[in-house]
Amino acid sequence: MTFWEKIQEIDRRWIYLVVLLCIIIPLLIPFNSKTYVTEPTSNLYKKIDSFAGKEDKAMLLSFSHDASTMAELFPMEVSILRHCFERNIKVFTICFSPAAAPLMAYAINVAKEDYENLESGVDYCNFGYKPYGLFLPIVLGMGDDVSEAVDTDTDGRKIKNLEIMKGIRNYDDLNLIVDFAASSAVFSWITYARVRFGANVAAGVTAVMAADNYPYLQSGQLVGMLSGLKGAAEYEKLVDVFAAYEDEQNPDGREFSQEVIKNTWVPIMEKTISYTGDTEMQTDVELPYKFKQARIGMNAQSIAHIMIIIFIIIGNVGYFLSKKNNNEV
Amino acid sequence: MKRQIPLIIVITLGFIFVAHTFIPSKTSVDFYDWWVSWSKAISPFAVVLGILSLFMVHGTKIQRKAPNWQYSLVTLAALVFTAFAGFAWGTSEGTPFMWMFKNVQMPMSATMFSLLAFYIASAAYKAFRAKSPQATLLLLAAFIVMLGQVPLGAAISKWIPETSQWILNVPNLAAKRGIATGVGLGSTATALKILLGIERTYLGSD
Repeated sequence: MTFWEKIQEIDRRWIYLVVLLCIIIPLLIPFNSKTYVTEPTSNLYKKIDSFAGKEDKAMLLSFSHDASTMAELFPMEVSILRHCFERNIKVFTICFSPAAAPLMAYAINVAKEDYENLESGVDYCNFGYKPYGLFLPIVLGMGDDVSEAVDTDTDGRKIKNLEIMKGIRNYDDLNLIVDFAASSAVFSWITYARVRFGANVAAGVTAVMAADNYPYLQSGQLVGMLSGLKGAAEYEKLVDVFAAYEDEQNPDGREFSQEVIKNTWVPIMEKTISYTGDTEMQTDVELPYKFKQARIGMNAQSIAHIMIIIFIIIGNVGYFLSKKNNNEV
Repeated sequence: MKRQIPLIIVITLGFIFVAHTFIPSKTSVDFYDWWVSWSKAISPFAVVLGILSLFMVHGTKIQRKAPNWQYSLVTLAALVFTAFAGFAWGTSEGTPFMWMFKNVQMPMSATMFSLLAFYIASAAYKAFRAKSPQATLLLLAAFIVMLGQVPLGAAISKWIPETSQWILNVPNLAAKRGIATGVGLGSTATALKILLGIERTYLGSD
């Protein structure tokens, strides 16, 4: 048996071991890597940022997944919530799956830890878990009146009495819905909230689901999309570079600029945030892990992708050489 | 009668909701509001039915000491204890329910999902072969998209993420559109068949 034939018959447990090492080592020893921001991510960022400081505009985050897909979706949720809290954007959360309810509470708690003055019912509101049987009545009902369709929040308070509802009545005001899913749940929001009421809909999906959503992105039915851990890493970077940016001229963040994002990179493993353009900002504050977890995860994903490509190449070389040898014999 | 009454309900309500969608009027809105209140009342019964069904299936397994009955015991114990923790102390941060979610549910679910990485790597090595021109094309597209998805791709060349995006935006999109059109036409045909009473398999066999 030749070397290449042996390679063809390798025990799959060796492959599993290589996968394990390729994923664990970059997570334990993180390194800086650049993040290339794609258009669907920047479009979503710009849409959310356009609501900054407006009393009559709000967004709704719909959690349609369970803990199994947290590795990809949770960093997106935390990043978007952080963006809302940084830029004073009214944000609501809802879920129609009992498994998503604790995730939703957890994401809000993680994101708000660094913002002392945030108040539930004033700056954000968690509608909580609603049974899936009520999905359609709630989604359609919010087209007329949000406070009637949802009625109470997770703490049992009447929605209509909450301060956050000032200026918010229906999809004209609650104008953006971002659905986080590992399934095709976002299509329901497109069908009912987008088509019928003209609400803007965006998706935060696992990488395997992303390809299904491209037709809706191109048709404009999705205003933006975060795809998998890469989308989350891109959004983390955008929040760092714009929403969480602080200097004397821009104490509350700055506006999105394609030029700035092209020339800027944010090292995740140092305390200094560097700008490769004309300006360079030094900071003593190290970015907390929760705000850079997607970018650290992308290191592991980079190595894993390279490993899979190498596996495919070795597998194919072995296959063709073995075939050639067999033909010669 | 056993088949005719459900059939009449489905056909009548089906046409009413079609009318509600395409002919907005006060009557249709009032009917819709009435239906919403009913659907809110029906939902909790589904939960009760689900819990009863779970207890019956796993209870029988435990009683008969069927193979792997111990797992059924764990399932029921987890259900009872989680529900008790939720009712007794609530589900907010710092409660036993949230502790269990963070320390049991989250890691276990993530572990199950992460197994995918091992299977994909193994399948890529053992089965992804350039045996034909189509398979070779698929391989090349997979290489570019995989590299385009990670920072290393952009570090090698800016063309890699751009080509990756093109593959997703053009050939992938064309295929997805074709599938979506087929599914849409199929769904419309099935809906019409149900509305007109031609498709009756949902009523069961007897």
